[in-house]
Amino acid sequence: MDDASLLWFNSKAMNKMEKALHELNEMDDLAAMDSPIHHLSPLAKLLTTIAYIIITVSFHKYDLSGLMIMVLWPILLFSMTGIPVRTCFYKLRIVLPLVMAVGLFNPFFDKAPMLMLGNVPVSGGVISMVTLMLKGVFCLMASFLLIATTSIDALCAALRKLHVPGTLVTLLLLTYRYVGVMTEELAIMTDAYHLRAPGQKGIHISAWGSFLGQLLLRSMDRAQDLYNSMLLRGYHDHFHYVEMKPFRMKDALYTLGWIAVFLLVRYVDVAQWMGSHVMR
Amino acid sequence: MHMADALLAPAVAATMYVASGAAAGVSIHQLRKDDEQQKLPTMAVTAALVFAGQMINYTIPGTGSSGHMCGGMMLSALLGPYGGFLSMIVILAIQCLFFADGGLMALGANVWNMAFYGCFVGYYLIWRPIMRSHWFGEGKGAQRARVIAASIIGCVVTLQLGAFSVVLETSLSGITDLPFGAFVAIMQPIHLAIGLIEGLITAAVLCFVLESRPELLRDAQPAGDPSKHSLRNTIIVLAAVALVVGGGLSLMASSNPDGLEWALFGNEESGYAQNMGLDEEDFGVSSSAADKAESIQEKTSFLPDYSFANSDSSAGTTVSGIVGAALVAVVALLISFLGGFFRKKKK
Amino acid sequence: MMIEKKMIQLDKVSFSYEPGRPILQDLSLHIHKGESVGLIGANGAGKSTILKLMLGLLTAQSGTVRVDGLDMNKENIATIRRKLGFVLQNSDNQLFMPTVEEDMMFAPLNYGMDREEAEKKVDRVLEQLNLTDLKYRHNHRISGGEKRMAAIATILMMEPEAILMDEPSAALDPCNRRIVIDTIRGMDQTRLITSHDLDMILETCERVILLDKGQIVADGRTEEILKDRELLEAHRMELPFCFAGPRYR
Repeated sequence: MDDASLLWFNSKAMNKMEKALHELNEMDDLAAMDSPIHHLSPLAKLLTTIAYIIITVSFHKYDLSGLMIMVLWPILLFSMTGIPVRTCFYKLRIVLPLVMAVGLFNPFFDKAPMLMLGNVPVSGGVISMVTLMLKGVFCLMASFLLIATTSIDALCAALRKLHVPGTLVTLLLLTYRYVGVMTEELAIMTDAYHLRAPGQKGIHISAWGSFLGQLLLRSMDRAQDLYNSMLLRGYHDHFHYVEMKPFRMKDALYTLGWIAVFLLVRYVDVAQWMGSHVMR
Repeated sequence: MHMADALLAPAVAATMYVASGAAAGVSIHQLRKDDEQQKLPTMAVTAALVFAGQMINYTIPGTGSSGHMCGGMMLSALLGPYGGFLSMIVILAIQCLFFADGGLMALGANVWNMAFYGCFVGYYLIWRPIMRSHWFGEGKGAQRARVIAASIIGCVVTLQLGAFSVVLETSLSGITDLPFGAFVAIMQPIHLAIGLIEGLITAAVLCFVLESRPELLRDAQPAGDPSKHSLRNTIIVLAAVALVVGGGLSLMASSNPDGLEWALFGNEESGYAQNMGLDEEDFGVSSSAADKAESIQEKTSFLPDYSFANSDSSAGTTVSGIVGAALVAVVALLISFLGGFFRKKKK
Repeated sequence: MMIEKKMIQLDKVSFSYEPGRPILQDLSLHIHKGESVGLIGANGAGKSTILKLMLGLLTAQSGTVRVDGLDMNKENIATIRRKLGFVLQNSDNQLFMPTVEEDMMFAPLNYGMDREEAEKKVDRVLEQLNLTDLKYRHNHRISGGEKRMAAIATILMMEPEAILMDEPSAALDPCNRRIVIDTIRGMDQTRLITSHDLDMILETCERVILLDKGQIVADGRTEEILKDRELLEAHRMELPFCFAGPRYR
């Protein structure tokens, strides 16, 4: 099956929950791949990603040429890891409309021409709109690449290293573990509902409470079972996790090196500089 | 109403991280103090349930469209404000990390907008006072009515607060040129409709729980001496109701489940401008709210100042900028090529 | 000191979830060390309740529960739980850590074993169960059969003196069921297995206890009880397939 028909097949054959499961599994598979980036310490990747996002967002809204060069980092990572860009762009469907919608107002309020593209004047609003969208795309690519190269347990180990409270990290891991289980149960329930309610698009108001309520009650029993099985294996107030891979020299170099590059790019307009040198 | 990274200035995002982080710190401390650590599995399973439950389409009678729930109110009714807040944080974190819904940097703001109001404001100012009051009299039926009232008022009020925060954060970040007043006028009514639907869904689920396992609901058992709080509670609740009714005048039906997207993006047939009743010539600029917003922006000049229309870049540097952009593209292609080479070498 | 021969003792135990509706009444049963016992009975007969009483997850309203000579009380409960391993019916509830390896290390680390030693033990147990390729797999990405085996592995990590299993063969395909049966047969600990899969009970247990409405209605050698069509059918059970043969042709 080619990509297009597979997409059609997926959209027809899977309900929303199954699609979500599919997406979760996809991220898992990506994180299990093998590349130099995958082998870095999760802490190094987390810090670098955060720095990248902050610096990207901090670009001035008219600084399009400065911002542009930031695209190189995600592209470098995509090509080093072999992670398909398509998977990432599929996720853009959630963020981009929102960012675009906010940005779309700018051309209407900010109409002062800022530069000429040939004979066409380009207003500040248009530039700030494009800048905003690019920021949205770049930030998404950065956090996508973080998760696509780091498993959730490694990420949680990094969070522990950053002194995020154990309660929260444990809760995150436990919840992640059961997100799959609950989503699958709801996927089955949704199918079962629609098999008996043909033609209905959603859950009818008469079942609003019981549909999720039934699962909620069952989940409470499940939570009790889960807690029991923790108790029976000697649980008392804290979880032992596999420790983080050591933060080595190369991780420090990676983090500091990239942050330095980002800062350099932030304060020196490299694209402009390159352009003017070529022109000379 | 998940905010994206690009909609926030780093300073605003950091502020929201600090605020949400403080609330999380208090929650963790309280859970430890109340020895509720053992509730961790329950919190995890409930959070996972709410995460999945957000994907359910609820048909809204008479409209053909569907509503969703977000779950802050429901979590705090089941787990209490502290447990509910922490559960909501992990839900938002998983959405942001694995589904690109929200963003890593915007997480603090999203937690504040969706979890803080839903759990703390929703629980302490709405759920608990109503559930402990004598509204609707005594007995099972009255309790059911109280659950419904608390759910609906709670969802509406907390969503209004959340929507207002979204506007505030975006405006303070200087991201949009849309005047503050106009933005508020778009966001609040839409989230009123969403809040009502979410309130009804939450009420339906919680009523079901009340029928089958009332011990799972917080404050479902009548408290020892409610008369002590009675007057204060009534005032609080009345204020909340006033807020709802005040906003209720501009009620509109939402055809799209997530109102922020709808509010800003409009639907496909009519352009976003018409959809908002937005006439670019005279909209916003003349409104007093917009003037106020401008002055707010001026006062907050410690944030990156985006309000000047003219930056230092002039038309003279445009050409070299474009050449530079072309060079970036070439480098990008080169990297893609080299990356593949690098990978093969590694194998 | 006398050597304790009985692993688990229930004496005149009564239990109910709500007053007036007893689940168990004056129930007594003893399980000896090294025995392999099958606990069978229709849905709602009280099988799971008995397991939970033995593990101290529920407290009997009257009667005594003793494990390895220790009374079930607050002081002893940690020691008792250390001696018992419980394989849940739903493996998802048992496997809550991110990976199989971490799940297997959960109990040893809680009991104070150091990490290196625990890791070595993980390798040993996985080797023994033929599961070495599961080690780094994520719990949410393994199949039902693998989950069941991983759950058993997490329990074996505790080196319990007795293993209690709730429906170990439920919802498994024939091949995975066979693997689980062989694994149970290969264990030398005291075993207590509840199941509706009577053919599996026949293969794995030397003694069977038949429950009905919270009462023990039969207790004896597996072959004798599982061949007794009248007894089984009187208590909402039927002959194992291997004795009954094909019913319909």
